[in-house]
Amino acid sequence: MTAKKRDIVIAGYSETAIDFKTGRSAFDLGGEALAKLLAATGISKDAIDGLSVTTPLSECPNPFFAVYMTEALGLTPTWLNYGGTGGCSATGGVARAASAIRDGHCEVVVVLSADAPSTAWRANYGAYRSEFQDPPGVQGPPATFGLLMSRYNHQFGIKSEALGKIAITQREHALHNENAYAKFKTPITMADYEKSRVIADPLRLLDCVMFCDGANAFLVTTEEKARSLGITKMVFPTAYAEVTNFNGNQPLSEITETGFSAIAPKVFKQSGLTAKDIRMFQPYDDFTIAVMMKFEDFGFCKRGQGSDFTLDTDLSYKGTLPLNTGGGQISAGQPGLASGGLNLAEAVRQLFGEGGGRQVPNPKNALVTGIGVIPYARNWGTSAAMILEA
Amino acid sequence: MAEEKAGRPIPKPSVYVDTKPFWDGAKAGRLVLQYCKDTGQFQHYPRPVSIFTGSRNLEWREVSGKGTIYACTVIRVPGPGLDGRLPLSVATVQLDEGVRILGNILNKDADTVKIGQRVEVAWDRLSDDVQYPAFNVV
Repeated sequence: MTAKKRDIVIAGYSETAIDFKTGRSAFDLGGEALAKLLAATGISKDAIDGLSVTTPLSECPNPFFAVYMTEALGLTPTWLNYGGTGGCSATGGVARAASAIRDGHCEVVVVLSADAPSTAWRANYGAYRSEFQDPPGVQGPPATFGLLMSRYNHQFGIKSEALGKIAITQREHALHNENAYAKFKTPITMADYEKSRVIADPLRLLDCVMFCDGANAFLVTTEEKARSLGITKMVFPTAYAEVTNFNGNQPLSEITETGFSAIAPKVFKQSGLTAKDIRMFQPYDDFTIAVMMKFEDFGFCKRGQGSDFTLDTDLSYKGTLPLNTGGGQISAGQPGLASGGLNLAEAVRQLFGEGGGRQVPNPKNALVTGIGVIPYARNWGTSAAMILEA
Repeated sequence: MAEEKAGRPIPKPSVYVDTKPFWDGAKAGRLVLQYCKDTGQFQHYPRPVSIFTGSRNLEWREVSGKGTIYACTVIRVPGPGLDGRLPLSVATVQLDEGVRILGNILNKDADTVKIGQRVEVAWDRLSDDVQYPAFNVV
């Protein structure tokens, strides 16, 4: 194995509060995230020469949204990336920025995700959906996840109290998150989980995210440049892998086999770490079952044993495998397609020691994941994973 | 003009690739899917190329309409096109020809539909001249 790469750093992060129907645009939210990032890092806007922007649901009819964003922010990047892998666009943006910096296209990159779908939903996926997916009533992710859960339950069995524990643990964590959507800042019990409305059997309301508005931003540069800018807090993204349309030419593959099973070995090999070494897990959590399946895909437990692992493991911020310590998207609110940045921001915050009332002790590393797009009758479109080390 | 079922839009054919054979087949009560001539495999939904080879050596073939429920759910919350259809039984059906298709189960109470049940194609009449494939448990 080649030596672990420790040249690139995430040298700052920022987040707006998550809120519902803010009436604001992705530009305005993105601007707030940038201003907060500049304040947090103390750097001048003029130091920024690279920008990665996530495609937002609220502005996606504009194919030049990323260019418009440079104008809105007064930036003149020599490298511009427009990320269209939904919840993988933040970690993917950091990885692409690292490559661009190594290739000399830029030196100081902002990875910016901002979206306001609860204010303005403007997406139209088009393609095959009006002919083949909408007619049987599978309009959105919940129906597809109901199907996925039914298959998982058939093969391995789901203990509903395990999914309930994921929801409850993350809600506890959200109580300590000043950015979390205010209406979610109430503890929930197992009885609340079990009473929550069934959306698409066996998927319940408390298994699901809710679209909100929000933004986040990350500063990506070399360690040397960060130090020259006077920055002292930084983390190293030592591993990244992604895959899109996993098993895409195998229409009869098991839908419970996900892209994470292919990329988990890659990020462990790049970082030299194993599942046992992971200090905290900040997985993309659109639905609780996705979290549980990732416990399996990353080898925290064997395939099919996600329920027992969940029930047997202390997933609190003080526990053996702290899980989505900011509440995740399910309990902090999902800021549209800026969603992936929420899990990533929490990882960076924890490694910076800025977790406040939810700080993980000895925060030496974090595993972060992304999920992008829900396809026809399968699991998800893009799977991404990043390991950050202090 | 044909009248739509309340709240359920009638799909427009060929918005993505040419799907006329699917819709013509459906009108005649035949389930017609896209077939890769190079590898002898079906694919669904229809694509611009074979997902197996990338070639456009594709044709449309009628399938038996017989298969097994691979995954199933019951949609219980309102949404676009769902007026008057809840609770809605939705299944991923694995057809005997080796291809999966999403469809509603028409002839059973939604709560009794199970993975592994055998099904055959049934037709949901969306208007006087448009039918859409669904399934009955046999």
